[in-house]
Amino acid sequence: MNNKPSGKFSLDGLFRQNIVLMSGLVTAPIIVAATTFERALVLTLSFLLISYSSIIICRFIPREIVYTVRIICYVGVAAVMYIPTALLMNALFPETASAVSIYIEILVVNSLILAKTESRFYLMSMKEMALDALMYILGYAIAAFAVGIIREFLAFGSLFGLRVCDAPMPAAKTTFFGFILVGILAAVCRGVTTRRRKRSESSGVIRKGAE
Amino acid sequence: MMEVIAKIVSAAMVSVFVQNAIFDRAFGSNVGIYASRKNSTVIGFTLGITAMTTLASIVSFFVDQAMLPTEFGWLFMPLIYSAVISVLYILGLLALWRFFPKIFRKIRKYVHLAIFNCTVIGALFLNSNYGSDIWSYIGYGFGTGIGFFLACFLLNIAHEKLDSDKIPRIFRGYPIMLVYIGVISLAFYALAGYTVDF
Repeated sequence: MNNKPSGKFSLDGLFRQNIVLMSGLVTAPIIVAATTFERALVLTLSFLLISYSSIIICRFIPREIVYTVRIICYVGVAAVMYIPTALLMNALFPETASAVSIYIEILVVNSLILAKTESRFYLMSMKEMALDALMYILGYAIAAFAVGIIREFLAFGSLFGLRVCDAPMPAAKTTFFGFILVGILAAVCRGVTTRRRKRSESSGVIRKGAE
Repeated sequence: MMEVIAKIVSAAMVSVFVQNAIFDRAFGSNVGIYASRKNSTVIGFTLGITAMTTLASIVSFFVDQAMLPTEFGWLFMPLIYSAVISVLYILGLLALWRFFPKIFRKIRKYVHLAIFNCTVIGALFLNSNYGSDIWSYIGYGFGTGIGFFLACFLLNIAHEKLDSDKIPRIFRGYPIMLVYIGVISLAFYALAGYTVDF
């Protein structure tokens, strides 16, 4: 998979390089904790606030500093950004935020900050990076909401907090179901992106032939 | 003495089988999948994670005693745990560079992945929730590393089969690995008769 930036605005982070469904960089919160829409919302907002602000701030850490120390700086910035994020989440969603607190806390060492910054984001201009990082976070949000909504319906028989029917599959809130569901969604995502790529490649060949 | 050993072993057993980092909490599942590709990385990652979770658990016991009873102490725990892990990371790298330069050159490319991940920091947070004394902290930290090794071993032995032509193309690799982890997680769930309460 080519991670190098193409030099123009890219939607890769949404599906083709989705950090949950395609590369699996940030999976734990979604597999275990995203069992309802509200939990998915809390996890997504926390991820946005911690990761996006850290990526932007860490951009200003000089590249002359050795990699070993830069990584520590990234984690430190993310841990500082956790403080306002946790306060905000506890004010807006007190019950849900405390229920998934450990999965918000571990976001300070997520691989979007520790790996993608070095291999992708910091090779781009500031504007490109800001948009690209946002796409990756939107990709995370898509995966979180898909998993949260499906599990909320199966495990609790409700949608967006509103009761619809009796719970068809209470085990859907367990960790093992989370793994299996994310695995299936990853396969679907891969199938769709592969088909789209093949289609665009073949149309490119036809166009070339016509020329 | 026997009581101390019993406490360490029982906490370690809990973290290996009942609250396995990967199968029960999904902590570091991406790192586990990455590490399980080669035997050498399984051993390297396991040693790094086990050493870090054990040593950091010892330090975090004293930090927890000082910080957690305070009103807003919990807000600063990620920052403090990150600082603890960072200090141990630098000391470990310095020791390797000084005494085992060959190993240092080999592992420096991926050592940060073994140290700064959900498995290590997650073990410290779980310790702060469930640990009662320093022995249970040590046992839980050590057991987290062993649990990670068990998970990586189970992924490693299935890796070749899960990447074969018998698996549908869109499932091959990462998706089927997640489904496989889910099935093993189900087995652990049945073994423990227990569900996570986050």
